[in-house]
Amino acid sequence: MFRVPVLLALLACLPDDPTPVGFAVLAGFTYTEGMTLPKEVTNVDEKVVKIRGFMQREVPGSGPVNQFLLVNEACGCNGSPKLNEIVFCTLPDGVTMDIQPGVVTATGKLYVGEEKEDGVVVMLYQMDADTVK
Amino acid sequence: MTRVKPLRILLFVAIASPLLAFLPGLQDPDGWDKDVERACTSQRYGLRLAAARKVAAGGAAAVPAIRAFAQKNGVNAVPAALVDAIADQATLEAAVLELLREWADNGDFYWRASAMRGLALRAPKLPPAAAAELGKFFVPHYDSASWLMRVHAQLGGALLGDHNAQQIPEPDPRARYKEAILLLQHEKDLPDKRMLQLSLVIHALADERTFQGDPWGQRFAAEANKALKAWLGDQYPEIPGGDTEGSVRAIVAAAKQKSGQNLNVPEPRKDPATPFAGGIEILSCKNGDLFVQWTAAGEVHFGLEDCAVVRLPAEAWTALTSERAQLSLGANLGVIVCDAMRLSWLEPKLHAKVAPASLPAAAANWLQHLASEIEKTGQPGLAAVLRTGLEQFAAP
Repeated sequence: MFRVPVLLALLACLPDDPTPVGFAVLAGFTYTEGMTLPKEVTNVDEKVVKIRGFMQREVPGSGPVNQFLLVNEACGCNGSPKLNEIVFCTLPDGVTMDIQPGVVTATGKLYVGEEKEDGVVVMLYQMDADTVK
Repeated sequence: MTRVKPLRILLFVAIASPLLAFLPGLQDPDGWDKDVERACTSQRYGLRLAAARKVAAGGAAAVPAIRAFAQKNGVNAVPAALVDAIADQATLEAAVLELLREWADNGDFYWRASAMRGLALRAPKLPPAAAAELGKFFVPHYDSASWLMRVHAQLGGALLGDHNAQQIPEPDPRARYKEAILLLQHEKDLPDKRMLQLSLVIHALADERTFQGDPWGQRFAAEANKALKAWLGDQYPEIPGGDTEGSVRAIVAAAKQKSGQNLNVPEPRKDPATPFAGGIEILSCKNGDLFVQWTAAGEVHFGLEDCAVVRLPAEAWTALTSERAQLSLGANLGVIVCDAMRLSWLEPKLHAKVAPASLPAAAANWLQHLASEIEKTGQPGLAAVLRTGLEQFAAP
C-alpha cells in the first residue's frame, strides 16, 4: 500500500541526470570583467552538468592531478583560452588522475560567476568534478 | 585668493601615490619585472592572464622587462597568454612592433602565430610607409607550414588590401574557416570589402567533422556562430534550442539580409563512412600539423578533407599491425607545452599524447616503418611528410 509513494519519494531523491553543456554556450559570448553574464550560462549555475573538452594542466608538468582546466582546444596554438573558455575542475579530496589525451566528459556541479583573487577575476566557471571519462 | 593647506597636499599625495602605481604608463620601470614574472610563472592561470593584460597595457615601457625574462629563461618560457595579450593591444609603439616582429620571425618560438596576429591587426593603423614595409614581411609567411601563421599573415595582407593574400589554394579547412572568421571580425578595417568570405563563415556553421574523436568541425561552427552574432548585432535571430539546422537557416537568412549576398544554407558536413581503426595527429606550431588515419584493412588517409589515400599491400599491413600491437606506451609521454603528437587506435586500445623528443624508440621505429611502406607504394611525398612530422617527437 505504501510502496508506490515510497518509490516516488525515492525517485524524487535521486539526482537529476547531468545537463549537457557545451563550450558553444559557455564561450559563446565576449567576456569582459564585471559584465552581466548571459542567461544561458547563469541558468546552469549550481547545476550538475556534463561538459566535453580537453584536460589541461594549470602549469606544465607531469604526474597525476587533483585540479585541471577543461578547455575546448587541444592545442594552445589557436590562441590562449579566455576565462569563459575554461572550466576549472577540482576532483574530490584525495582523488587524482592523469591528464587524459583526447576529449573527455567531466561531470559534476558547475559554479558560474566571477571568482576574484588579489583583486582580479581568476575564474568564471568552476566544477566539482565527480567523474572524468 | 584661497590657499591650499600644505597638510591637504600631503594627504592627497599620500592617497594618490599608491593608486598611480596601477596606471600602466606611469609604473616604475623596475616594477615591470615583477608583473612579467607573474604573467609568466604564476601558478594560477587567472593571475597569469590578469598580469599579462597589465604588462601588455604597459606597451613599450614593459618591453625591456619581457626581453630580460626571455633572455634569462628562454623565449619559450614566455606564455601564449602574454603574447596574445600584447597582440590584442592597439599600441603602435616601435618597441612593441619590433618585439612582435622578432617573435613572429622566430621559427623556434611556439607562439609566433599570436605575434603575427598582433602585427596583422596593427598593419592597417600604421603610417603608409611602415604599413608597406610590414606588408612585405607578411608575404613569405602566406604559405607557412604552420596553418595559423599563414592565416594571420594573410589576414595582415588582406587588411593592407593585398589581393595576393587570398590567391594561394588552402588545403586545410581549419585555415579557410579561421581566415574567413577573422576577416568578418575585422571587417571595418578591411579596405576592400570584396575580400570578405562570408559564405565560408556560413559553411563553418554546419561543419560536424571530427578527427579521432576531436570535434574540430563543431569548434569552428561555434566560432563562426560567435563571429556572426557579433557581426549581425540586433539582427541576430532568436535561436530555437536543440534545432541546429533551424538555427543555421535563421542565421543564414539574417546574414543574407544584412550583406545583400546570395548565401545558401549549407549542408551539414559529416565524417565519411570510412571506419577508421586508428590514427596519429601532430599539432606543431613549428612544423605544421599532420593528420593520418587508417582503416583495419590498411588504407591510410592523409589530411582532414579530400584526403590523399594510400592502400598498403596486405602483407605489409599485417606486419605493421602485428608490430604496432607489441608497442607499450603510457597515456602521457613527456611534458607538453605546445607541440604535441597524439596516437590513437582501437586494437589494442591506446590513446597517448606525446611531447617533443619523448616518443619511445619502438613507436618511432614503427612510424618510420609505416613511412617506408607508404614510400614503397610510390608516395615518397606522403612518406616524407610523415617522417618530417615525426622528427621532433622521436626521443633522442
